[in-house]
Amino acid sequence: MSAAPAAASRVGVDAAGVRRVLARPAAPAVVFLAILVVIFGLSAPGFFTFENARGILASVAVLGVVAIGVNQVILAGDIDISVGSMLGLCAVAVGAVSTAVGGLILPLLAGMAVGAAVGAVNGSLTTFARIPSIIVTLGMLYALRGLTLVITGGDWVTGIPAPTRELGTGMLLGVEVPILLLLGVAAAVAAAGRFTAWGRDVHAVGGNRSAARFAGLDVTSVRLRAFVLTGALVGVAATILVGRVGSVTTDTGVGLELQVIAAVVIGGTSIAGGRGSTLAALIGTILIGVFLNGLVLLDVPPVWQNVVLGGLILLAVSTDAIRRRVLEG
Amino acid sequence: MVRSQSLSRELVLLGVLIALIVAMTVASSLFLTTGNLLNTSRFYVEPGLIALGMTLVIVTGGIDLSVGASLALVSVVMGFAYSEGVPLWLAVILGLLTGLLCGAFNGLFVTLLDLNPLVVTLGTFALFRGLAFVISDAGAVSQFPSWFEVFGQYYVGPVPLQLFVFIAAAIAVGVLLARGRFGRYVRAIGYNPRAARFSGVPVARTTVAVYALTGLLVAVAAIIYTSRVSSARADSGLGLELDVIAAVVLGGASIRGGSGTIVGTVLGVLIIAVLRNGLFMAGVPTTWQLIVIGVVLIAAVFVNEFFRKDEV
Repeated sequence: MSAAPAAASRVGVDAAGVRRVLARPAAPAVVFLAILVVIFGLSAPGFFTFENARGILASVAVLGVVAIGVNQVILAGDIDISVGSMLGLCAVAVGAVSTAVGGLILPLLAGMAVGAAVGAVNGSLTTFARIPSIIVTLGMLYALRGLTLVITGGDWVTGIPAPTRELGTGMLLGVEVPILLLLGVAAAVAAAGRFTAWGRDVHAVGGNRSAARFAGLDVTSVRLRAFVLTGALVGVAATILVGRVGSVTTDTGVGLELQVIAAVVIGGTSIAGGRGSTLAALIGTILIGVFLNGLVLLDVPPVWQNVVLGGLILLAVSTDAIRRRVLEG
Repeated sequence: MVRSQSLSRELVLLGVLIALIVAMTVASSLFLTTGNLLNTSRFYVEPGLIALGMTLVIVTGGIDLSVGASLALVSVVMGFAYSEGVPLWLAVILGLLTGLLCGAFNGLFVTLLDLNPLVVTLGTFALFRGLAFVISDAGAVSQFPSWFEVFGQYYVGPVPLQLFVFIAAAIAVGVLLARGRFGRYVRAIGYNPRAARFSGVPVARTTVAVYALTGLLVAVAAIIYTSRVSSARADSGLGLELDVIAAVVLGGASIRGGSGTIVGTVLGVLIIAVLRNGLFMAGVPTTWQLIVIGVVLIAAVFVNEFFRKDEV
């Protein structure tokens, strides 16, 4: 599943090609996003600037990096709702290592290691112990938050040294580092999805687990890898967040799981597994960012944010259902 | 066959509950006192009521993440209707209607477009909470007439009134699920929706009814909650959905649909209540309670699911 624009260039005008492009998971979200950008560009002063676009992307980098991971888990037919608590635990790990030894690499690795370890636990309980992933990660949502509170004793981690904050506040080639990380992670995971056997197997495993097993795919390791990848990416996201905020609070990441699933689903990945793309997760994330930004610029009171987000999710899934009915006749 | 299986599962849960009560009694002499148990029950009637509806939803193979948000919406609609001059009895009826509509909205969305309930109720989770914030404009109503206290602060002798509401609701929903046609439809839909449809089960109507009933139970819980804390605010019931789902799943309902009982769910609610209150009475910090609940949840489902042979 690759970028829709790339597909558009080789399509020409034949109906089958148009149909193929429209059948891509992220197609409706791309259209939505284009319409939104035009509407906000015309109505919200200050929306159509390079600075504003960068601000939007930087503000959704944490959400996006996590969403790209969870997207793989959902593609493989599972779900991970523990990512918010996981982000909290990883942020504590990043903060602890950072205040102890400083630097950037060690705190980042610590965050990724903690995340990957938690992901491995999630994946093992789901695959080897055969507990449905929604239950495993619901339990972990509680347990990891409790663990974070026990470790920190409810205290904040403050005084994060400047080098560790590079990933959150740094600039490279005139662009914020979080943006480069978001796009880099998206490109890497999308490339892995297109050019490696594992990336293709994820769709098969999520589409029809029994068929994938009978076809000889190692279903267990495919599902396990998606969970571990998500954990490692949560570690990256935690490092970005700690950098941006400069401290770690014990409620870091509360409620993130719902935003993440919203981003993935709005982008066009099917919650039932098997259908979707990394581009979908990225577009869904950006859509949420653009919407929230546009509302602020249009002086819509912040109390309307959730109404809009909820409406957006319902609109996205309805469009997707109707589109599939039309396309599949 | 199925009957005896669920019976033995409930016996195991009962054994766990008794073991927990014994352990908590040993840990704190204040735990097993009528005063403590009755007082604690006030806090678990609300999740308990919602868990009854959630059991039906989960047995149909669905899930409802929006219950905490609808609780807030009902509470706010009721409170702000009253503060705008609507008589309180009418505001309470408006609240019940709001809950019913929230549930029916979920059910209709899920059935009409054949959408995944997880995503739909994630959407309404944000939508209902958002509407609650818009209506209340992030404010609160806390001036209620004294008779409103009857729903959440009234005692019949030593027993909180809402406990009777919960017992009555549990019996009613329990009978609905275990006996009669409706319960059979609910289980059939969860076990195999396509087979249910071909067998003449009114899948759409039953599903909408299940979500609407859950909404109604949420509304009752919201009225009790609002009365108990004497406040209607948009941030009520945050995270409630997770507690409720944990109790239902702990009670043995399969998240894959098709199986689950009200007796199991009531035991699940009791186990969580005993765990939380017992650990609290024993002086264990709240943070450890989160860890214990998470581990217990995973372990319970492991015991339930690992020995199933039919998993693909």
